[in-house]
Amino acid sequence: MRKGKPLPTVTIDGCKVEVEKGETILDAAKKAGVWIPTLCYHPAVSSDASCRICMVELDRGDWRQLVTACNYPVRRDIVVYVSSEGAQQARRGVMELLLARAPDSQELKALAERMGVKETHYPKVTESQRNCILCGLCVQVCEEIIGQAAIGFAGRGVDRVVAAPFRQPSEDCIGCGACAAICPVGTIKVRIHEDEQEVEISPFKSRAKLLTCEECGAPIISMQVSEQALGKVEVNCEEFRERVRLCPKCRRSQTAALLKAANFCKKE
Amino acid sequence: MIRASTKFTSTTDIERFAEALRGRAGRAPKVVRVCIGTGCAAKGSRRIYELFCEAAKRCGQDVRVDAKCVGCHGFCECGPIVVVEPGGIFYQRVEEPDVAEVFRETVLGGRVVQRLLYEDPGTGKKAEKADEIPFYKVQERIVLGNNGLIDPTKITDYIAEGGYSALAKVISSLTPEEVVSEVELSGLRGRGGGGFPTARKWRSCREAEGLPKYVICNGDEGDPGAFMDRSIMEGNPHSVIEGMLIGAYAIGSEQGYIYVRNEYPLAVEHLRTAILQAREMGLLGQNILGSPFSFDIRINRGGGAFVCGESTALMASLEGRPGEPRAKYIHTVESGFRGKPTNLNNVETWANIPQIINHGGEWFAGIGTKESKGTKVFSLVGKVKNTGLVEVPMGITLRRIVEEIGGGIAGGKRFKAVQTGGPSGGCIPAEHLDARVDFDELTKLGSMMGSGGMIVMDEDTCMVRVAKYFTNFLQKESCGKCTPCREGLSQMLYILERITKGEGEVGDVEELEGLADLLGGTALCALGKTAANPILSTIRYFRDEYDAHIKEKRCPAKECRGLFRYEIDPEACTACGICLKNCPADAITGEKKVPHVINQEKCTLCGMCWEKCPFTAVLKI
Repeated sequence: MRKGKPLPTVTIDGCKVEVEKGETILDAAKKAGVWIPTLCYHPAVSSDASCRICMVELDRGDWRQLVTACNYPVRRDIVVYVSSEGAQQARRGVMELLLARAPDSQELKALAERMGVKETHYPKVTESQRNCILCGLCVQVCEEIIGQAAIGFAGRGVDRVVAAPFRQPSEDCIGCGACAAICPVGTIKVRIHEDEQEVEISPFKSRAKLLTCEECGAPIISMQVSEQALGKVEVNCEEFRERVRLCPKCRRSQTAALLKAANFCKKE
Repeated sequence: MIRASTKFTSTTDIERFAEALRGRAGRAPKVVRVCIGTGCAAKGSRRIYELFCEAAKRCGQDVRVDAKCVGCHGFCECGPIVVVEPGGIFYQRVEEPDVAEVFRETVLGGRVVQRLLYEDPGTGKKAEKADEIPFYKVQERIVLGNNGLIDPTKITDYIAEGGYSALAKVISSLTPEEVVSEVELSGLRGRGGGGFPTARKWRSCREAEGLPKYVICNGDEGDPGAFMDRSIMEGNPHSVIEGMLIGAYAIGSEQGYIYVRNEYPLAVEHLRTAILQAREMGLLGQNILGSPFSFDIRINRGGGAFVCGESTALMASLEGRPGEPRAKYIHTVESGFRGKPTNLNNVETWANIPQIINHGGEWFAGIGTKESKGTKVFSLVGKVKNTGLVEVPMGITLRRIVEEIGGGIAGGKRFKAVQTGGPSGGCIPAEHLDARVDFDELTKLGSMMGSGGMIVMDEDTCMVRVAKYFTNFLQKESCGKCTPCREGLSQMLYILERITKGEGEVGDVEELEGLADLLGGTALCALGKTAANPILSTIRYFRDEYDAHIKEKRCPAKECRGLFRYEIDPEACTACGICLKNCPADAITGEKKVPHVINQEKCTLCGMCWEKCPFTAVLKI
């Protein structure tokens, strides 16, 4: 036990867990083994709490306040209800609104099912770009992790979309595909154009040249990603730099050929 | 010696300067004050001011006349307003040709021009002075007191009326903690809408860790039909600056920002001039009045997004990021602008501060109700006879505002509801007209104080359409960041559109209530959380209108096109044929001396016959 103030305790649906000061209700819920659905939350980027799917009820004595679990910082002992009627109703309501916006996303449907939402009773009234729910994870990862900020939000209210500046293919996009990897609803896709040896990040139409394997000509990774990655580390091994230009398959077979001379056997 | 370049170096300088100014003011006994507030300026008061200036120049050395442009008097319905001293003769609806007469008769001759005086529509009695007019009689003008007296572009005018004496008092004799206590004693609550106790906010910011600390003035007034803050910034910018100075002294801040809408060019101009003048005189900058206290203010012009009136969105915008709110689980007094402790108050809140310091917190607490102290400025608009800016003590009934100050409903119609609190407020019906206007009472009625918009509606207003109007406004102004606000408002608007088109279904009202509940609980910022108030309050008080739209496909106020029909009253019809000629659908038949008839099957409900009929024989049924 550390000296100083005792850690704050979070009581989640009756289960008590201690968390570091400043950790969120979601962190506490993970410790307690309580599942809270999330969409716009990712541990790698800062929490924006824009999707509102992680609503839980916070005990305020004579009333309960709905708060977002992903960014509510725990600063003192609190009591939280995740599976209470009010909290579930709020989360399901938000999910129904999202389903109305993005009815064709399989990922969203799967999450809805897990939450006990079978379908939405709302009509589709807002236009979404290929089921985008505007969670903003792609924008954040591009800015905070990749450091490119090639995409951002454009428009306001119902016209809000994720786009590159002027909705034109972005020159800042390095084609890393982090946005596609983090997208929780499958809106963003990585497309390989073998003929042009280019990678396209769809729907932003941004393209980047691909590095191709020196041996077999198979596409490996976007050139800029490779350059950036090499620029971030100090490598004094020229052989390593050369190896990077090979596809994983050729790299393996070359390494194997090099090691052919060596002898491996289990030690007695 | 009075010079514009005078720089104050001690607190006693101001009092001496003010006395000298007052002495000098006595030498020009004749003053013509022309209102250049937005309402009057729109009616050409700038030109009237110029004409008075020319007349004053021409009249020679023997009679000294000062023509002054002053801030909004509030009585915008009767603008342009001209007040002549001595005597405080209050002229209304003054037009260019009247200038010569007013100058000759009143300014030079001391006689009153009867036809330009305000005439009580009920009694026919003429009022010579402002306080004889019912519109002003009920009011208690603290914040707006100097509006209409001083030239907002002259710091000397403000100082002559006792301006900056509160700052001198604070710097010379009060500790920051004593200032906060004085404000606490006054019971002042934030005038921007939330009604949070100002002193508590100041104290939290004062005690918060981290430097530097910022104070911000929220002048991003975006409510449709509201212009309270605008008039204060335009008409008395120094009161805001002095309030901010006192707040900064109490909180321990050295940098302030005024966030003002760019749609208020005059407010920006007057604030800018005021800040420059205050800097020149040593009231802003380093070592103010010779004390260790330093403070300066910068103006930031907003791009016109309604959501930027929300404190966190405003700060994001101030930082140069898109104006979107963030969760306030950590308050802005701890981590606000640039992650530093930030105290944000509304224009009117700041403008109240010098008065509280000058007259004492106890004096302020003596006005108003138990939980809501002081006065509140409302912009009274809509279907009342006297529209304009009114300042009333808290606790006054809505009836007195609407009937005594507003003069009742225009056009002999019946009162239906008053919408308070801007787009996030609610509609209060006739049965609650005797409710007292304060923060808690209005919230209980399903509305709110908001920043002080007050829209009066008469019997011809369809309440479903009112709800639709505000929902549409908020849907357009939603930043789109959080799901409930962006999607929920669109869903609600979709339902309201259907209802007003006569396509409503049973269960729509319950659906709206469900969405409203969801929005109130889960939206990120106050815009979303309160966005359903117009819908909820109209459902609460005018459920029968929703039902008439949905079940009977009828609009009781006859505003929703398609939910009523036009018919010609055969008794009133003189068979003049005007409707017949104007009908674009050839739906009207009739002959000479035979009352005309509308063929309902052909009628496209364009309303042309209703507009054109000189005998009001066309009826909405």
